[in-house]
Amino acid sequence: MDKVRKYLDTKIEPHFAKGGRYENLAPIYDLFDTIAYSPSRVTQGLCHLRDALDQKRMMIIVVMTLALPMAIGIYNIGYQAALAASVASLDIAGWRIAVMEFLGLNVYGSSFWSNVVYGSLYFMPVLLVTLATGGFWEVLIAVLRKHEVSEGFLVTAFLIPLTMPPTVPLWQVVVATSFGVVVGKEIFGGVGYNFLNPALTARAYLFFAYPAEMSGDAVWVAIDGYTQATPLAVAAVSGAAGLVADYTWMDAFLGFIPGSMGEVSTLACLAGAAILIGTRIGSWHVMSFIVLGMIVAAWFLNFLAPYSENPMFEISPMWHFVLGGYAFGLVYMATDPVSSAMTIKGKYIYGALIGVLVVFIRVINPAFPEGMMLAILFMNVFAPIIDHYVIQANVKLRLQRYGKRQA
Amino acid sequence: MMSTSTEGMQAEEKIRARKKTIKEIKKNVWFPVFDNNPIALQILGICSALAVTSNLKTSVVMSIAVIVVLCASNTLVSVIRNQVPSAIRIIVQMAIISSLVIVTDQVLKAFVYDISKQLSVFVGLIITNCIIMGRAEGYAMHNSPLKSLFDGLGNGIGYSIVLLVVGFFRELFGSGSLFGVQVLSLATEGGWYVPNGMMLLSPSAFFLIGFFIWFVRVWKPEQNEDN
Amino acid sequence: MANDRPSQTILVAFMLCIFCSLSVSLFAVMLRSAQDRNKLLDKQKNIIAVSGLSEKGDLANEEIEQLFESIKTFAIDLDTGEKIDDFNIETYNQKKVSKTPDLSIPLNDAEDIAAIGRRENISLVYEVYDANEELDAVVIPIRGYGLWSTLYGFLSLENDGTTVRGITFYDHAETPGLGGEVDNLKWKASWKGKQVFSTDDEIVITVVKGRASQANEVDGLAGATITTRGVDNMLQFWLGDKGYKKYIDKHLRNEQKT
Repeated sequence: MDKVRKYLDTKIEPHFAKGGRYENLAPIYDLFDTIAYSPSRVTQGLCHLRDALDQKRMMIIVVMTLALPMAIGIYNIGYQAALAASVASLDIAGWRIAVMEFLGLNVYGSSFWSNVVYGSLYFMPVLLVTLATGGFWEVLIAVLRKHEVSEGFLVTAFLIPLTMPPTVPLWQVVVATSFGVVVGKEIFGGVGYNFLNPALTARAYLFFAYPAEMSGDAVWVAIDGYTQATPLAVAAVSGAAGLVADYTWMDAFLGFIPGSMGEVSTLACLAGAAILIGTRIGSWHVMSFIVLGMIVAAWFLNFLAPYSENPMFEISPMWHFVLGGYAFGLVYMATDPVSSAMTIKGKYIYGALIGVLVVFIRVINPAFPEGMMLAILFMNVFAPIIDHYVIQANVKLRLQRYGKRQA
Repeated sequence: MMSTSTEGMQAEEKIRARKKTIKEIKKNVWFPVFDNNPIALQILGICSALAVTSNLKTSVVMSIAVIVVLCASNTLVSVIRNQVPSAIRIIVQMAIISSLVIVTDQVLKAFVYDISKQLSVFVGLIITNCIIMGRAEGYAMHNSPLKSLFDGLGNGIGYSIVLLVVGFFRELFGSGSLFGVQVLSLATEGGWYVPNGMMLLSPSAFFLIGFFIWFVRVWKPEQNEDN
Repeated sequence: MANDRPSQTILVAFMLCIFCSLSVSLFAVMLRSAQDRNKLLDKQKNIIAVSGLSEKGDLANEEIEQLFESIKTFAIDLDTGEKIDDFNIETYNQKKVSKTPDLSIPLNDAEDIAAIGRRENISLVYEVYDANEELDAVVIPIRGYGLWSTLYGFLSLENDGTTVRGITFYDHAETPGLGGEVDNLKWKASWKGKQVFSTDDEIVITVVKGRASQANEVDGLAGATITTRGVDNMLQFWLGDKGYKKYIDKHLRNEQKT
């Protein structure tokens, strides 16, 4: 191994160093070098902080916790398709079926493996396309800006497919990922400078640009032409009664309901939350106050329900918690350390307002049964202002205290 | 001898003055197009740039309307600039601009009804377009009618350029057409292009204007603000 | 500054007012007739489009006027369904009247399925006659609330009073790509031939989710549940007793039966 290292350092690296022939491509060399070896650079200044948790490790842990909702999500794609096929006796065709038949698996069957394979055949292409597209932009921009390729995209690349419906066309994934990475992040200077969550930006872009493929009844079950409303859409039309008639709370909690690929399982998200809070990567301040805000807002609307014809008013906090992208957004999106509020007090305000907004968007806005994405993005925009006022208030307080002591 | 040389000097001065005026007029016309664009650099007149740019037809008509109003208001304000008491000058400018806007609106309603219907209130809202008041107060009040006319023209073109660029992309990607002629065959009618619904919503103009500003500043880095 | 004398201020203000008001009113008066003609032509164009008189999308003004000669406009009393003679159709502003208390009735919650608040007492209808002066089709104005906005449109029925000839919406602000697809030509074409009333005189036409299979069903708009429901409610209202039912019964379906 040392020989390889030596060879790289003496023969290859000089070409990419300043003045070398491929100076412009230094970020690409650096990318592969730091994947294979630990970086050789050390801090030059006087300050030196050692922490086991560097950015790379933090990203890896987040991606690992994403494996839980991803696994249940993948299984659920196949499960929902098999369920739909058994109910409606549909003819399914396409390359995925060819692969399934090649493997000797039955699409219509409810065996565990056939569900997992069928789900993977939907999920994996989206993930690969997201990685390729995002990777392309990251490397291109790193080369243009002459800085290292950041690992920050890795988490975004896993988040984006998890927020998409299983039937999303791959070219739309390309467009959305490009928008999320370039407009949501790189325009503002790259990882750490973005004020919006890039994964949610990508999803929001698709939501508004191609609403037919991102909402409605036809996109949630991975069978062409099969329509089934998500539980939230059911609730918007027929309220709690309709919801209970079609789905059980336990199914929604475990994740066996139609929805975006990774958002369905509240249980998996909670397990992820436990790991994130345990490793102090995710902020429990934000998470707990989103839950609190949601409960208060939902109770408030429950209280008003008798006076309204809108059936969404009567949906209880219990249901809000397990439906749609609430749990997924709560654990993985709202806690994004870059786009959320930074101060502790700011995190309380930021979280509580997300919780309140998500309920209000879901219940009162007639067009969007799902509100988590919009609530988080909206509060992303306000996070810097919240922080500003929290800090100013603190400055004022300390000045007052100091003034008193002087007098 | 003496008198002829003075005459010669006077003539020379006249020529120089004229040259100077022509140079200034040229600058008045070209400078606002990219170097001091009212939308891209001064960030004025954004409202109508969002509202009327979902297709090229309305963008073009709106552009022409703004150019006409801007040229006329600049000229008229400049003509009476020496008579107007400073206490009521803003009201005077407002009255002139709003009269021009109403007349423009009436003309559009009479001759291009379809487009005037799509532009709806936004022709009337030219009154509130900061570019027009800004040029009247900032330029026409201190300069000759001729120079003011060309200043109006230049700023009008600067505004129009942005409107046309935004309108071009919004119509092309949002409806797959240009000037109402289908250029990309739509998936809903059996073609291949799935129209981008966001392009038909006003906020998309924010993104496009943002991109426009980005490209102009890459091209002319002196427009970047200091951090 | 000499300009700042009060006399100068008043003089300038006065002159300016005169000049501005003169020019504005001059243009307004000069262009009035052209504007009115445009407004009328625009409406006639929509009516022609929905009545199927012309397949062409872009009609010249002369063509519109010529085609519209086969269409007769009547004012009808919506409460009785009778045509009103001696009614000044030209000056009747239906949109304005529908908001005027004296000329319209308030609708209670149960009646107001189209969410329009008030309904005018008198409505204009457009009857299309063929070359033999026989009634060929009628066009009725409809409106109702969708997701974001009130949709204004026309519905055209064949002379049997129950078969749809066409539908169009000329003013709405629904989401482009979802509810905005009410403008989609294919969707509008799918209405042709649908049956409005059942044999027992019930309103059976309905906009369904997904694929329509019956003669009284129309495909819903994908992903636009609320706009679709709005269109459905609008038809229920305007074809019902508070709407044009009496007119349709008296003038179209009666003729068929007798």
